[in-house]
Amino acid sequence: MALSLDRLGIFDPKDPLKDRLTDLGPRHFWQYFPPVIQNNYGKWAYHEVLETGVLMHVSETGDKVYTVRCGAARFMTVQHVREICEIADQYCDGFVRFTTRNNIEFLVDSVEKLEVLKKDLESRKFVSGSYKFPIGGTGAGVTNIVHTQGYIHCHTPATDASSMVKAVSDELFKYFQGMTLPAKVRVSMACCLNMCGAVHCSDIALLGNHRKPPIVDHEVIDKVCEIPLAIAACPVGAISPDKTPEGGKTVKIKKERCMFCGNCYTMCQALPLSDKEGDGVTILAGGKISNRISEPKFSKVVVPWLPNNFPRFPEVVETVKKILEVYAADANKYERLGDWAERIGWEKFFEKTGLEFTEHLIDDYRLAYDTWRTSTQFKYTAAAWDVSRAAGEGFCNG
Amino acid sequence: MDELKKIIVEFAETSKKTKFYFKDIEKAVQKVNPDAKMREIKKACTALINEGTMIYFSTGSSTMYGLKGRGMTEDPQ
Amino acid sequence: MPFEPKEPQKEIKYEETRIYTDAELNSYTDEELRNFKIKHKIPDLEELENGPWPSFVADAKQEALHRRKLANERMLIDRDVVEDMLGQLQVSFDDGETHWKHGGIVGVFGYGGGVIGRYSDLPEIYSSIAHFHTIRVNQPASKFYNSDFLRTICDLWEYRGSGLMNLHGSTGDLVLLGTITEQLEPIFFELTHVLGQDIGGSGSNLRTPSCCIGKARCEFACYDTQNLCYELTQYYQDELHRPAFPYKFKLKFDGCPNGCVASMARSDMSFIGTWRDDIRIDQDAVKAYIAGYVVPNGGAHIGRDWGKFDIQKEVINLCPARCMSLVDDELIIDNKECTRCMHCINVMPKALKPGKDNGLSILLGAKAPILEGAQMATLIVPFMKAEPPYDNIKEFIEKVWEFWIEEGKNRERLGELMQRTGLPKFLETIGLPPAPQMIKTPRENPYILWKEEDVPGGWNRNVNEYRSKHKR
Repeated sequence: MALSLDRLGIFDPKDPLKDRLTDLGPRHFWQYFPPVIQNNYGKWAYHEVLETGVLMHVSETGDKVYTVRCGAARFMTVQHVREICEIADQYCDGFVRFTTRNNIEFLVDSVEKLEVLKKDLESRKFVSGSYKFPIGGTGAGVTNIVHTQGYIHCHTPATDASSMVKAVSDELFKYFQGMTLPAKVRVSMACCLNMCGAVHCSDIALLGNHRKPPIVDHEVIDKVCEIPLAIAACPVGAISPDKTPEGGKTVKIKKERCMFCGNCYTMCQALPLSDKEGDGVTILAGGKISNRISEPKFSKVVVPWLPNNFPRFPEVVETVKKILEVYAADANKYERLGDWAERIGWEKFFEKTGLEFTEHLIDDYRLAYDTWRTSTQFKYTAAAWDVSRAAGEGFCNG
Repeated sequence: MDELKKIIVEFAETSKKTKFYFKDIEKAVQKVNPDAKMREIKKACTALINEGTMIYFSTGSSTMYGLKGRGMTEDPQ
Repeated sequence: MPFEPKEPQKEIKYEETRIYTDAELNSYTDEELRNFKIKHKIPDLEELENGPWPSFVADAKQEALHRRKLANERMLIDRDVVEDMLGQLQVSFDDGETHWKHGGIVGVFGYGGGVIGRYSDLPEIYSSIAHFHTIRVNQPASKFYNSDFLRTICDLWEYRGSGLMNLHGSTGDLVLLGTITEQLEPIFFELTHVLGQDIGGSGSNLRTPSCCIGKARCEFACYDTQNLCYELTQYYQDELHRPAFPYKFKLKFDGCPNGCVASMARSDMSFIGTWRDDIRIDQDAVKAYIAGYVVPNGGAHIGRDWGKFDIQKEVINLCPARCMSLVDDELIIDNKECTRCMHCINVMPKALKPGKDNGLSILLGAKAPILEGAQMATLIVPFMKAEPPYDNIKEFIEKVWEFWIEEGKNRERLGELMQRTGLPKFLETIGLPPAPQMIKTPRENPYILWKEEDVPGGWNRNVNEYRSKHKR
């Protein structure tokens, strides 16, 4: 059946229920498996990363499948997808796969096909010079940075996603194309606290953050919002009903209570909070999802705020690089970034990375106490001597 | 079913609000008819949607129900 | 397990579905692309064409030029959408603020999700993106495709939309970015009729479930993630399209505790493959690893010289349960002490494999920070078999939903509700006994919320009786 060319296709606006198909769900996965996957489904014996970006899976049947993993911007055009299809048609019987972290995977069933495929992929560049299909993202390196929509398509972001991810990925490219780190490092990006990408368990998380409370658009709030919903949306009860001088319904905001989450704006467009000076980037580190060796853990805020310096975010890029390089030099084999920070102690993390420790890094939200240190076991760093000095002159010689 | 639909429409017409979470509707119906089950109420809502009496209103993150033509139901453009 | 469709699935052949000719698809040269300037000034974006990582700007310009070359009647939405999107993005950089407005009541008839309304707040300048709605297309499990399907989507989306998309969105959908309200229904009809393909979830619905690569290409998968994901997505279509939940609900399926789809961090109900018998050991392969004949960790560390593989240091000493030992070059695992963290299996995939009696653990309540702070999923069901038709799993899901729909407040995620009501009450409601596997430690405060029936004699006491023994 051909795609329709009529303006409204096969939809009849006079009878919207006519021929409407619903609840079809997704297409079944089986038809999209290449033969080598169909034949060996559930029979895989082991795998090996042959070189960065190239995996070999060996089946109990003796069959092998070679996967070439390529980085990609998750934002892509139909022209780029058509090029992916062209490659899939040429080398992979028309099949292609995408990973959870937005990489593209091309699968072939022989070493000969693998070599020509790799060569072709490496040769493809955008006219301005960047790779179209950089090979990498496997093993103990940095793989694709998952991210959210940002200014390309979102109404609540505190920063842009695609540009920041491009800037950071350019800088971390050698880690994408090499497996030189102690363990894999997962970098993730979300443009506001809603975290569509749920980045809160990443080795390094980049997070857009607002710093100014919402402005109330008194003139329209009663027309464009359900005011009770906006009031109920505030997790700290900072929004209350109010009247305009003309007697219209509106709200007032206890600004000192605001936690800048933007939940009110999600519910009510008359409460915008984005702001050029206010918005910026928070960096978190040390989270993980995998249950390997240590339990999964949350990322911790290590830099409260950096400016939105478009388009390349030099401060963000520098910080990420610094954390990564110190970790790479200092951690043990198999040690994830968070495991390393816990082993050396967070005081040493700040000393070694040179990141500034400020009051913003001490939790003062709910259950904050869980993160306070209730022990005499600590390590001395310059920060400790600063406290001792401030607490009272005496013997301090740090 | 018709009885549930009637209760829902009456509630939606008389409430001060114009957008309702499913839960608000469920509670309102069960106030009148304590035996009404969640599944039946959902079926009645779906029927009202399909006949065009009610519409969905979505912020993207959560979805509400509203009577067509009541409150803020116009495309903002 | 070859697929046998319950209903015939449409076979898609691009040669039958296609809109554009080869000449239309290959309408520009690299030289033209190099010299191409879009109609707006975008200096910051052009800067992002540099550097090795794939440039989304360079890609967008391909599509912008491609649209310029198409004849007027070969696109149903404005030719300039890509250029206007880039122009508005540059202005957003200049202003340090987004220029997209809130959503509204766009959607397809009868569905409460799958379409997100989006409008520019600079419609006079960027008129072609005044409406720029998103459609979420429910991806096939673990995101394998063939080119016939993808090319058809591309033609559909270039003809009726902007040609811009995400592969993929955070939840897993194939996301189509940017079309006008008028085209939503026609696109939905093309998707369902030509592609046999539905849209995904948004709003207070079951969101599009997603899974890891599973048995398709991974030796660790302890259950069939794709099949379970597909089966539940189909079974719960009503929940996915017609909202009756307090808020969003996500199901994600990881085949093993490595957790490649991060279900533990980002799904209300997380299914993680596991086993209850012994890790399978091939002692000859263990010896090969020790002797250095096999590269450890599946080659994941070959980029750096970490020295000779040391099984004691790299495996046995790193085992969190300390349940391994080496006796005369034989690897011994005390399986009843094992916590199945996967480390030893990851390091020596040729020698060690998960057990054969496998199934899954179910963890509940993960979510991103909004509102009560981020939560990771809590282990609730230690082990369950996962075999078609998965009635045990469906029954469990529905019990949890029943509790959440009954007790949950509007916009309260399952994890928040579990916190508010407390785990004991939650367990009681869904009919599970408490177990130490569900907690890290027993409670540290002594404020036990006793119930009247816990205490002999109940709570109704007579003060006079009390006073007969105790003077005022």
